[in-house]
Amino acid sequence: MSMDENKKVKLSLKNISQSFVVKNKVMDAVHNVSFDVYDNEFLVILGPGHCGKSVLLRMIAGLAKPVEGEIFLDGEELKGSDPRVGMVFQELALMPWLTVMGNVEFGLKIAGKAEKERRRIAQKYIDLVGLTGFEKSYPHELSGGMKQRVGIARAYTSYPEIMLMDEPFGQLDAQTRYAMQEEVERIWQQEKRTILFVTNNIEEACYLADRIILLSNRPAKIKQIYDIDLPRPRDTVHPDFLRIRKEISENTDLAL
Amino acid sequence: MEQTKQRMTDQERITMVGNRARHDKYFYIMLQIIGVLGFLIIWQAAVIWGWVDSKILSSQTSVIQLFLVKLGDIAPDGATLGTNILSSLKVALSGFGLAILIGVPLGLLMGWYKGIDSFVRPIFEIVRPIPPVSWIPLTIVWMGIGLKAKAFIVFFAAFVPCVINAYTGIRQTSQVLINVARTCGASNFTVFCKIGIPSAMSMTFAGIRVALGNAWATLVAAEMLAASSGLGYMILMGRQFARPDIIILGIVVIGVIGVVFTSILGLVENKVLGWRKLG
Amino acid sequence: MTEKRVELSKAEQRERNLKWLYRILPFFSILLLIIAWIAVSGEGSDFPSPWAVWTRFLKLLEKPIKKVSLLGHIGASLQRVFIAMLIAWVTGIAFGVLIGWSKKANALLGPMFMAFRSVPPLAWIPLITIWFGTGEGSKILVVFIGCIACIVINTQAGMQNVNRLFLDVGTVFNATSKQRLFMIAIPSALDAIFAGIRTSASAAWMVVLAAEMLGAKSGVGFLITRGMDSRDQALVLLSMICIGIVGAILAIVTQIAERVICPWTRTKR
Repeated sequence: MSMDENKKVKLSLKNISQSFVVKNKVMDAVHNVSFDVYDNEFLVILGPGHCGKSVLLRMIAGLAKPVEGEIFLDGEELKGSDPRVGMVFQELALMPWLTVMGNVEFGLKIAGKAEKERRRIAQKYIDLVGLTGFEKSYPHELSGGMKQRVGIARAYTSYPEIMLMDEPFGQLDAQTRYAMQEEVERIWQQEKRTILFVTNNIEEACYLADRIILLSNRPAKIKQIYDIDLPRPRDTVHPDFLRIRKEISENTDLAL
Repeated sequence: MEQTKQRMTDQERITMVGNRARHDKYFYIMLQIIGVLGFLIIWQAAVIWGWVDSKILSSQTSVIQLFLVKLGDIAPDGATLGTNILSSLKVALSGFGLAILIGVPLGLLMGWYKGIDSFVRPIFEIVRPIPPVSWIPLTIVWMGIGLKAKAFIVFFAAFVPCVINAYTGIRQTSQVLINVARTCGASNFTVFCKIGIPSAMSMTFAGIRVALGNAWATLVAAEMLAASSGLGYMILMGRQFARPDIIILGIVVIGVIGVVFTSILGLVENKVLGWRKLG
Repeated sequence: MTEKRVELSKAEQRERNLKWLYRILPFFSILLLIIAWIAVSGEGSDFPSPWAVWTRFLKLLEKPIKKVSLLGHIGASLQRVFIAMLIAWVTGIAFGVLIGWSKKANALLGPMFMAFRSVPPLAWIPLITIWFGTGEGSKILVVFIGCIACIVINTQAGMQNVNRLFLDVGTVFNATSKQRLFMIAIPSALDAIFAGIRTSASAAWMVVLAAEMLGAKSGVGFLITRGMDSRDQALVLLSMICIGIVGAILAIVTQIAERVICPWTRTKR
């Protein structure tokens, strides 16, 4: 499928490879992956479990360095973590010793913002993710879906230009998962950002993505790129939706 | 595109990672040696160059000399080092052993059978906050200052953690496992033996480790307060004769024996709880 | 009385009986303990009876020992404990953070610390009295030694087990290494640190007692040795009871403090 020419390239990965030395063996995690991410695009990276998609995301977030290749953001090379990149973690990673407010304003505090400013921004995103009234609760008092909302709000506060989401709903039950997918779509429409969303769920990918990058089993290679131009909000039982879903599904490697 | 990162072969990477790990290991071992040596050198230097009076701190060499002398000499506390160690060991082991023999089963039973729990627990809770050392005056009246009195105090110090950990351990037995056994038709007592006790073991061992530390620490106190032999008595005599070398020798011996005990217990624990090891 | 009588099955009946038994057993056992006490302290025995202890208590309130009342002695011991604990908390947490966070510091100082902590605190008393005499400072130092090890060990463990994920969050937000230490690692180790503080309180109470028994002019340990020396068994028992009560109160207070300061740990226990 062809690319739209007027789209601006935001993030660009060039020949990225990653491998680890484990017990005197080199394990390849990611093999020669290159792709571009466009401005304000919702890009989903879809792949079977443990295929190296999280590794890919961690490299963009600056949590790991690629063995080979470069990552460019707005044309300049990314080295280490960058304030323009925000991340929602798979395992929630909420600080248990902080309240919802404390967690959401965590990044702002690190950035050294004044308390009043912090509160204002944090409150805005707490409201945005629908947690108004829970500011003083501790994470252990929240449900799984609510915790992940806190994680999303926290990532948004630093006004990142690119939002990385690492299987954020992997640990939620199916019902909550649907609700959260709708939430993420709504938030994305309201606060237009470039989103890189990693998942192993084909339906989730089809529901959210402008574009899907399908990865192979480990070591992760790009298998195929799909443009999903279905109208939003999407209907998960619409024939077109089901057709795309089936197409991707047949092309997906089985997880080991 | 400029090639900043030179591509390495797999073999090169493996060697590089291996080298770095080895280098790190040596580096940290060096630091450890520097730490210990530094301490010993400062100590020795302080005595030799007279930074501190040798009446209040002895050099390592004089402590080592004393160690050799004390193996055969009974002055000034009336027993050789070997006799003192044996006397302390006898007290510590009898008290500690008794505490395990009584404390662990009691804790397990209390944790499993509610009737025993509700009967024993109040007494246990009343007795528990009283530090073992404070029993010394009473035990002296009851049993004199011999082996029995000291063993009782050591027993008391080791008893409490044994009971508490066995109790908490068996209380944390997975209800799923219990239900599985029950559906297989096991009686309550069988479930207690086959499931409750094994799953409480790792917690119990943690308790025994605490008990060992308590026992050894309390023994020293007991020997300093009410004894005529043993390592605690020896260091107390060292104080009375103003002999810092005897005190330091005693402290070192006490510490070394404590470490030896702990490592023996660690070995036993690894043997008994081998299944618990993470892969 | 209820109108509808619910028929209980045999099993339910049995369960109800058992529940009633479990409720009554604790009182029974305490009663037994008191009876045993009275029996032991019967005629011809030098073990004091409960009322002997009680009268000793009243007498002690009127006629203090060494011009210090019972509460005064308890206060003297508590003062030593608190001063020593405060110093131990500050230095112990700082040292624990240092060797828990920096692998190099741990390699350099860890072995000597391990050697230090394998010696029971009371064994230091003879050396300390040679160095610093038998004054107040020596006692505080002994108590300090008695409670610093558990604080350091717990703090170190907490700092070594900081969840990598939390540190990753810090990295994504571009935290400096100082921020990672003070805003992530130390707060996440707080519950481990508090476990150490809880242990330290009971350790300190035990050590102060022993230190006072080895020579002091005030404090509960002094009371107990005074009772022993003057063959005043009632005083010994009374002191033991006071020591137990204060020890229990100390444990409860630290527990409450933990709940207030670390509210997120509430559900874990």
